[in-house]
Amino acid sequence: MANGSMRYARGRGNAQLPLAIVAVLAVVLVLLGKAQSSLFDRARASFTDWTRPALVWVSTPFDKASAWFNGIDGIFVVYQENQRLKQENARLRQWQSAALLLDERLKRYQLLLNAVPDPALNARTARVIGRASHPFLDTMIIDAGKSQGLKPGEAVVDARGMIGRIFLSGERTSWVLLLTDLNSRIPVMIQPGNIQAIMAGDNTPNPTLDTLATTAPLKVGDQVVTSGDGGLIPPGLPVGVLVNEGGAFRVALLADAGASEDVRILDYKLPVEEPPAPSPNDLPASAAGLKPEPPPPPPVQQATPLQTNPPSGAPPKPAVAKPAAAQKPAPPQVNGGDNGDTQDQ
Amino acid sequence: MSDRIGWSFRSALGASIPFLCAVLGVIASNMPVSIFGANVPPPMFGLMPIYFWCLVRPDLMPPFAVFIIGVLQDLLGGGSPGVWTLSFVAAYAVVDRERDSFAGLAGVGAILGFAVALLIAGVTAYATIAVLYWHLPPVASILVEIAISVVFYIPVALILGVIHRRLIGPLRGDY
Repeated sequence: MANGSMRYARGRGNAQLPLAIVAVLAVVLVLLGKAQSSLFDRARASFTDWTRPALVWVSTPFDKASAWFNGIDGIFVVYQENQRLKQENARLRQWQSAALLLDERLKRYQLLLNAVPDPALNARTARVIGRASHPFLDTMIIDAGKSQGLKPGEAVVDARGMIGRIFLSGERTSWVLLLTDLNSRIPVMIQPGNIQAIMAGDNTPNPTLDTLATTAPLKVGDQVVTSGDGGLIPPGLPVGVLVNEGGAFRVALLADAGASEDVRILDYKLPVEEPPAPSPNDLPASAAGLKPEPPPPPPVQQATPLQTNPPSGAPPKPAVAKPAAAQKPAPPQVNGGDNGDTQDQ
Repeated sequence: MSDRIGWSFRSALGASIPFLCAVLGVIASNMPVSIFGANVPPPMFGLMPIYFWCLVRPDLMPPFAVFIIGVLQDLLGGGSPGVWTLSFVAAYAVVDRERDSFAGLAGVGAILGFAVALLIAGVTAYATIAVLYWHLPPVASILVEIAISVVFYIPVALILGVIHRRLIGPLRGDY
């Protein structure tokens, strides 16, 4: 009876106003979040920092259970898998020795050519303490943050290739935006051919390739690596291989973000090159074949006595400013392309 | 006098249980751990108490509570701010408006009613994301989440029913 009276008291007229207010607030929140997401990001980072011990505690048994569930089907093919891995291991050992030889040779060539060496990468290792896979979001949380020197934008890799980028750093935790996420865009290069493209996540396991020239000769199995454009992500990080899905090329990622337990965060900073100081020949007037204006005279110290002793008998020469004619800028004269033939009037 | 104070405290506690259940649901949905692997989205536990009490006792699940639950979902989920807030409010608005139709459903119909509420929330979130990013995200993942949430709603609705009868009923004076 009371329940019925409550329902009756909360009639449509009373319920519609707060509902309308809340709907407007929700729309405002969406717009505010789009315009100013840093407020939400800070709150998220603080919350993740605060719940880090609980996440570590909870994620351990879940990860083990998840690994066990995912490994159930592997139990039935243990023997075949073992044989396959042995063969693959032998093949990879051959490739390893070849790679080491080639690496040494490359270093020698770089030395001979006096090539600019690749910038050294400073990497830190962190543990994955959480994974969030929602319909419009693919992220993971790692147990390292600003206190370990992590910064947003840094690349996160596992043993096989790139996983994503840090997009939010708390004090002791960081959120990693996976390459499959809707917001992920990274510059990549397709080899062979060094074809530049932007790899864009769309919340499917295989990201797409955007801004690719339609005439670019691509084929299934081509390697995709980071191009390093923009200077945020180091070039040459393995990302994946090209696959054909429904007539369009996509990237099958090498790294398995769902199975990664420990990841490396690469601190990559492109060395900042200072531009050389401009010489008079670099000035636009010189480049146009005109004589550059003389540099302005240094400021004259009015009351400073001369340091050199004057000749005996001569009165001390006062410090004077340069004649006005010398200070007046000379009009530029066309010298017919012959440098140094102009005269001051 | 003390009886009256104690009674009002118990009444307030009873009134806050639906909101607390939804908060727990949001936390459970957004625990960044998954036993099914990272490719399977978690069920939308936060919407289940909203739908349940919007039908059973709408006075215990007011619009502002739904708004706060949505904000919490956005905060913990890590996505674009406001998307799930708007989706929860949209689903709540439809269910609240058609409450008589939804409340009349029983058995499989009740589960389908929740599926409709989920669909409204999912479509709202999808449309908001599409407008925000000017890009149509894949539909499969949101459909999978809806399907998983519907499956999980069956046991959760039983638990919510027990909570409603055992906890909210005795604690609320006007029940």
